[in-house]
Amino acid sequence: MISPRIDRNTRVILQGISGRAGRLHSRLMKEYGTNLVGGVSPSIDIREINGIPLFADCASAVKATGATISVALVGAYDLLAAMQEAVAAGIRMIVTPTEGMPVHDALKAKRLTQQAGVLWIGGSTPGMAVAEVAKLGFLPDVSLKSGPLGLMSKSGTLSYEAGFRLAQRGVGTSVWVGVGGDPVKGVRYSDLVPFYAADEQTKGLLIIGEIGGRDEEDFADALQAHAFVKPVFALIAGRTAPEGVAMGHAGALTYGSHGGYAAKRAALEAAGATVFDTLNAMVGGVAAKLL
Amino acid sequence: MYLLEHDAKHLLARHGIPMPQGCLLHDPVNIDALPPGPWVVKAQITAGGRGKAGLIKQADTPAEVSACIAHILGKQAKGRTVRAVRIEQQVHGARETYIAMMLDPAAAGIRIIMAAQGGVDIETLPREALKTVSAAPDAATLAAAAAKLAASFGGITGKALAEAGRAIAAAFIADEALLIEINPLFVYPDGSWLAGDAKFVTDDSALPRQPAQHALLQDPAGAYGETVLKDAHGCDYVVVDPAGEIALLTTGAGLSMMLIDEMRGAGLKPYNFLDIRTGGLRGETRRLVNVLNWMREGPNVKVLLINIFAGITELGEFSRLLVSALREVPEFRVPVVARLVGNGMESARTVLKEAGITLHTDLDAALAEVRTHLGARQ
Repeated sequence: MISPRIDRNTRVILQGISGRAGRLHSRLMKEYGTNLVGGVSPSIDIREINGIPLFADCASAVKATGATISVALVGAYDLLAAMQEAVAAGIRMIVTPTEGMPVHDALKAKRLTQQAGVLWIGGSTPGMAVAEVAKLGFLPDVSLKSGPLGLMSKSGTLSYEAGFRLAQRGVGTSVWVGVGGDPVKGVRYSDLVPFYAADEQTKGLLIIGEIGGRDEEDFADALQAHAFVKPVFALIAGRTAPEGVAMGHAGALTYGSHGGYAAKRAALEAAGATVFDTLNAMVGGVAAKLL
Repeated sequence: MYLLEHDAKHLLARHGIPMPQGCLLHDPVNIDALPPGPWVVKAQITAGGRGKAGLIKQADTPAEVSACIAHILGKQAKGRTVRAVRIEQQVHGARETYIAMMLDPAAAGIRIIMAAQGGVDIETLPREALKTVSAAPDAATLAAAAAKLAASFGGITGKALAEAGRAIAAAFIADEALLIEINPLFVYPDGSWLAGDAKFVTDDSALPRQPAQHALLQDPAGAYGETVLKDAHGCDYVVVDPAGEIALLTTGAGLSMMLIDEMRGAGLKPYNFLDIRTGGLRGETRRLVNVLNWMREGPNVKVLLINIFAGITELGEFSRLLVSALREVPEFRVPVVARLVGNGMESARTVLKEAGITLHTDLDAALAEVRTHLGARQ
């Protein structure tokens, strides 16, 4: 079974650490508790950034540090090559926050990681976190409180808002995975149903979806196929969005009845999930069930 | 982006896909360059369902063509205005079939769908009428899978679907498509075939390396306004209701969409969707000034609501940029309601207070202030 769970000992490297985002987020991740053991950068002038040793490539970073996870903060058109390098170096899990990876590159990256048995989270993901333990990516600390709720989201900001309001209400999260807003992504909601079913900390599961694609429908099918017994909650953004326009997320493009709100809501409700119309209703509903 | 049929056919023709002769027109007067008749006049909008919306008409004489164009131009459908029509020669004596290729995100492949019956909304066909298979995303594998699927239809239909499949596979991979659908695919008794309609969804992320698609952004009628804005300004902006009353300055696609849904559910009228991407402002007011100027175009906009949940962005700095940008667009004189959560709240509160703006942390409180302003203006 695939598992995204990490702890304080899980060794992580960051590809693209010397870029603007790499410098900022390597510091924020390290401060949060992530065991960031190395950075990959073509720069030969710098030995370390934020106290993290630099390596010329993934292979030497993995060899020197024993890292099993990589966070890649490189340009959208460099992402496929960075992922190929990480897989070749023996990395087992890759998180790619970069927005705008071409979809056909994502198809190749997905086949590559699937064939190698590597867990890919992304693209366009805010990352993932085990609250109050470690995080990979951008998830803001104010939204991270340890607790019983598993959380998966296509959207970064909507999940920050949801996590923040839940935390204020006293509901924390177990393992939070931003699956990302791209149409072709690595791990999808449905892939992690067995993980959340088995995870002892998780007592309920929230998915934050949006229009476009079939991820929510396939997740609903997976709930039924695995006879998932924990309570499932859902928010789906884009109920009133116009057809044929991608609202910020490439994956949120709808055409005809494809990817529409109604089908997603119906599928989730048929699988026993509670679908909420507003953030406030969701927070109230989750708190009533889990607190 | 979802292409106009005319542009979809332009891209497909480059891969040798045959189609009825046609031309693009923007008015009912200059119709000298018509293909041979009789004709079909088709509204060009970036959404499906044109037939049901009465936006596809038959015409037997040039006078009828003019009348159809005059009738269709300016019509509204699915939130869009028809600004162009494609005129094509009518097709007779051919069978209508169906072929499509689309992303298969679960299998990391491309799904091929074929049917011996086309010309109707494919969702209305019985499931057993559709044949489908998923293939790896390279042109040779895709074409081979399409040929095998087509062979199961037999006869001239199978032959035509196989030929079309090979050409669409080449286009799908070379053009990095997300969807190509030809419905109907006309098949003549002699086995020749034509693309009747064409639906083509391209990948905005691939635009910089797809020059033929990037060139489509120059469309004189502005069919791809949202993509043009993103390409030029690095943010996503969509007018969701031209008659909307509340301009939204927001970041994050999911949160912005959800806010619009919630506001509409509560009877409020948002004007626009925006993902400003606060992380990309880089200390400059340029992007903020641009969006404020766009919002100013909304004739009924009465209030500006700012909703930013900043995971990383320093809100004090954002607030300084915002106040400067508002000063740079003095023509946009509406009450400003701000709801900000994240790093640097206290500094943001001070900066906004000096500009006469109350900082809310609770969204419901911000919406209550929005309602007050709307009420005061009515």
